[in-house]
Amino acid sequence: MAFSFIFIPLLLAACLPLIGKFSKKLIPDVLTNAALAFLLFNSILLIKPVLSRGSFFENINWFGENINLQIALDGFNLFMLFTISLVSLCITLFSIDYLKHYGHQANFYALLLVMVAGMNGLVLVIDLFSVYLFLEVAAVASYALVAFGLGSEELEASFKYLMLSVVASAFILLSITVIFGLTGSLSFQAVARGLQDLNAGLAVGVCLAFFIMGFGLKAALVPFHAWLPDAHPSAPAPISAMLSGLLIKVSGVYALFRIVYSVIGMTPALSRVLMAMGAISIVVAALLALGQNDIKRMLAYSSISQVGYIILGLAIGTPLGIAGGLFHLFNHAVAKGLLFLNSGSIQHITGTRNLNELGGLGKKVPITAGTNLIGALSIAGVPPLAGFWSKLIIIIALVQAKHFGYALVAVLASILTLWYYLLIQRKAFFGPLNERWQKIKEAPFWMTTANIILALLCLLVGIFFTPVFNTWITPAADALARGVQQVLMWGI
Amino acid sequence: MIIQILLLSGLVIFSILAILLKDLLKAALSLAVASLFLGIIFFRLDAPYAGVFEISVVAGLITVLFALTVALTRKDSEVKEARLTRLAFPLFFVIFLIIDGLVMKSLLQQVPALPAGPETGSFGEVLWKSRTFDLVAQLGVILAGVLAVLALFRKKEEDKDE
Repeated sequence: MAFSFIFIPLLLAACLPLIGKFSKKLIPDVLTNAALAFLLFNSILLIKPVLSRGSFFENINWFGENINLQIALDGFNLFMLFTISLVSLCITLFSIDYLKHYGHQANFYALLLVMVAGMNGLVLVIDLFSVYLFLEVAAVASYALVAFGLGSEELEASFKYLMLSVVASAFILLSITVIFGLTGSLSFQAVARGLQDLNAGLAVGVCLAFFIMGFGLKAALVPFHAWLPDAHPSAPAPISAMLSGLLIKVSGVYALFRIVYSVIGMTPALSRVLMAMGAISIVVAALLALGQNDIKRMLAYSSISQVGYIILGLAIGTPLGIAGGLFHLFNHAVAKGLLFLNSGSIQHITGTRNLNELGGLGKKVPITAGTNLIGALSIAGVPPLAGFWSKLIIIIALVQAKHFGYALVAVLASILTLWYYLLIQRKAFFGPLNERWQKIKEAPFWMTTANIILALLCLLVGIFFTPVFNTWITPAADALARGVQQVLMWGI
Repeated sequence: MIIQILLLSGLVIFSILAILLKDLLKAALSLAVASLFLGIIFFRLDAPYAGVFEISVVAGLITVLFALTVALTRKDSEVKEARLTRLAFPLFFVIFLIIDGLVMKSLLQQVPALPAGPETGSFGEVLWKSRTFDLVAQLGVILAGVLAVLALFRKKEEDKDE
């Protein structure tokens, strides 16, 4: 059942260009959304067996013969699959109307589905080299999607993204090669066991440094963030939402922390390094976001800052810190997905993303303005929205672990975050209405619907915080907190 | 021995073509073929994992990345090479051959052979039984590459029509 997360999007992606020859829009729209809705439903169905068994292992047989297609499912990767399916579905709903001015829906959806398959594959595999390969599946699709508009800005951004991403992949591959040389294996379980028996601190340290550089580039952590503020604003709005909402978290945060916690093992020194990088990202990117006039560029810097929070929480190493980091990962995926889609709505309505040209839009487009406000306040950490709880948990975990300095940074940066999000509100939605926008009206139905769903999620997850936390976050955090033991107990 | 020489010759010829060909796409494809030869050599030297990874990464993935990069660049951005640069490779290649002939044989004898890793096997066993998931990912990469080229070249065709 868990294999459907890889095979369904891949098979549909292979068929869509052909289907697109017969039906330019309706069938690709329906099939893509139906496939992602099925995956979301599937991830919800899987929560019961994962909660009852802790983790389980799936193997595919081909006509009775073992062909070694193996995946393991635990709380952590099921949580990621749920997040990917949920946000992707909202993004494809938004794309139904948004793609009208781009055209070539079938091709767009096919690339998007390959990206989803790549992310799902990365989350499910139990082998370092397969992690690298699925990382590239998602990355190759994302390069094309960033350049999908084919303008010079998009092509340049995609090229820059490709170049830096290839450097990241090279670091990751190099590290995997060294680990293979050390342990003679690539499976998580064998490497974890091999490294426990091996006294090779320096070599493992070098591997970790390469992993941090590689996955840090993918996650756009400061100082590896240069590509993101160009790539994310240039892409079509649904792709900006995919990249900021999901891809940097799956190919950066998930992969790094799965390897650090479950394969190599977290150490106090590594925890300190990652926490420092997280804190620097929070502050530097928040300050850089303040000076932006392009909404999507501001959101891109905000993503770097919020990924800093996630890294800070996950790197504390305590169960509460990990839970806070994962909860913030989910909340940011939803809220940032919403804000990027919302910026697409604004661009669709007005034709510009420049904050200085906007003003007073709230009176004309109240749904777009309202959903934007909910997303912004959630990321800024205003109660009772979802982002408040995740930031609060991270700060409590920092205080419990006696990292008072980092806790202060997290609080102060949250105020900065609120400041630049209120700037968006003031410049775009409040104040006198610019005469240019007298005749504007709300975005089309599906774009508005996707915004409303994501805004409701920000609100409802905040209000029903306890059941959401217990069902999705706690099993994921437990799986990660078990460290190397988690993969050693997979019954492979 | 004859097969070994043929494989090595293929590797060298396609590597040289990868450097000398002016058409970037053809150069990338030559590199992929060279990598395929290298992968087969790895298998024959009882390093099946190295062979699988060489074919997966260089022949598969890197070629897709090159094709994508070529698709992202414009035709008018061609850069003319200086004459000296064009001579640099043949000169370097001749020097390398001389050093190779004089030094490598004695040097290789001094390098101890590494013990075989626990994950070994024939080409078929490694590819179909141990690394099956890599094939799925490879299909994903190739599919992404094909779809990317379709997406990125679509407007150029429309421009031509105009």
